[in-house]
Amino acid sequence: MEEYIATFYSHFGAIRFKRSCEAAGLTAAVMPVPRNLSSSCGTCVKFQARGESSIPEKNEEMEQIVLVTDRGFQQIYQAEDA
Amino acid sequence: MKNEKTVITGAGIMIGLIAAALVFFGNPVNMGFCIACFLRDTSGALGLHSAAAVQYIRPEIIGLVLGSCILALVNKEFKPRGGSAPVTRFILGVFVMIGCLMFLGCPFRMILRIAGGDLNAIFGLVGFVLGILAGVFFLKRGYTLKRSYKMPKAEGGLFPALEIVFLVLLVAAPAFIHFTEPEGGPGAKHAAILISLAAGLIVGALAQKTRLCMVGGIRDAVLFGEYKLLIGFAAILVSALVGNLILTAATGTPYFTLGMAGQPVAHTDGLWNALGMLLAGFGCVLLGGCPLRQLVLAGEGNTDSAIAIFGLMVGAAFAHNFGLASSGEGPTANGKIAVIIGIVVVAVIAVLNSRKSEA
Repeated sequence: MEEYIATFYSHFGAIRFKRSCEAAGLTAAVMPVPRNLSSSCGTCVKFQARGESSIPEKNEEMEQIVLVTDRGFQQIYQAEDA
Repeated sequence: MKNEKTVITGAGIMIGLIAAALVFFGNPVNMGFCIACFLRDTSGALGLHSAAAVQYIRPEIIGLVLGSCILALVNKEFKPRGGSAPVTRFILGVFVMIGCLMFLGCPFRMILRIAGGDLNAIFGLVGFVLGILAGVFFLKRGYTLKRSYKMPKAEGGLFPALEIVFLVLLVAAPAFIHFTEPEGGPGAKHAAILISLAAGLIVGALAQKTRLCMVGGIRDAVLFGEYKLLIGFAAILVSALVGNLILTAATGTPYFTLGMAGQPVAHTDGLWNALGMLLAGFGCVLLGGCPLRQLVLAGEGNTDSAIAIFGLMVGAAFAHNFGLASSGEGPTANGKIAVIIGIVVVAVIAVLNSRKSEA
């Protein structure tokens, strides 16, 4: 299992994605965005998945997804106009 | 994450001490910082209202925006964004200010009032927490003002540039800018421009670095059980309290007076202190941050926050032009009606923008 963090343009986008994760059987939790990831004070979703292919469909309020590694965050998705 | 807590605690301590020092250097008592009061004073200086006692372009506001902007530019975090329900944010800003001027202070000053021994602010704190809980209730029901979008750098830079224009107007003091006459009221009490500006720059940078937010602390504690921002809130309270006690002991002038009656720029009507801050807390959750946070975000290029600040400034003008703002004598009848209307309007905005069924 790998750990990911998804950030959103709104709290609503985060809770919707968390529900998508849970519906897909993934462990997910909403939390404040880590400061070293963004200066925004929004809500993110930390979730566990077996590779990128098992990540639920992205919603239009999603800003980015990062893989949490020992060396920090590795971006795997970014919205077009982010 | 332990480091983040240390940084935010240190920042909170510094901010509390700077706030206490600003009073020593000339700001009104318990008003080292007050984003609502200072935006109101700036509105007055620009002639948006004519309350002669509260007209001054406050350099702290300019410093907060520019301090945030400079640090964001240095750290490549200046990211202009906007387009998320600007009119709604403007209206929320108007009513947040009306709530603040019922209480006589923003959430930041609420903490500083408590640190100065003003027990009336405890009623404000109770209302503030209730307002945040109301906002959190709607966040959980899918409240959103929809996403923001990337904006050109020039768009994001306009608000910080406007603050530089305000600084020029303050220093040049042309005849069309209004300044409270000496001894004419709170607007006449201020630290020297350079001291106020430096204080604003430091606090703006610290708040950008730590994402300090008076609303966010309680919101995150309730929503996530996350206390980092709340620690900053508590650190400001404790350090400002210690700063006030030290200044009182060192100068013989009372910077800390425990009680309710006779507190500076405050009234003793507990119900309306609470309801004013309930409106402010509720509106701020829907805006995504307290007035201080809106200034910091505007400094980072967030034009939605800039719109909210324009709302706050116009709200201040309405508050004084329509007799809504409280005074040391207490709240006004017009102010009570406006706060009730404000709570209703903010609740309607919350309901109309909640999408429970889709969440």
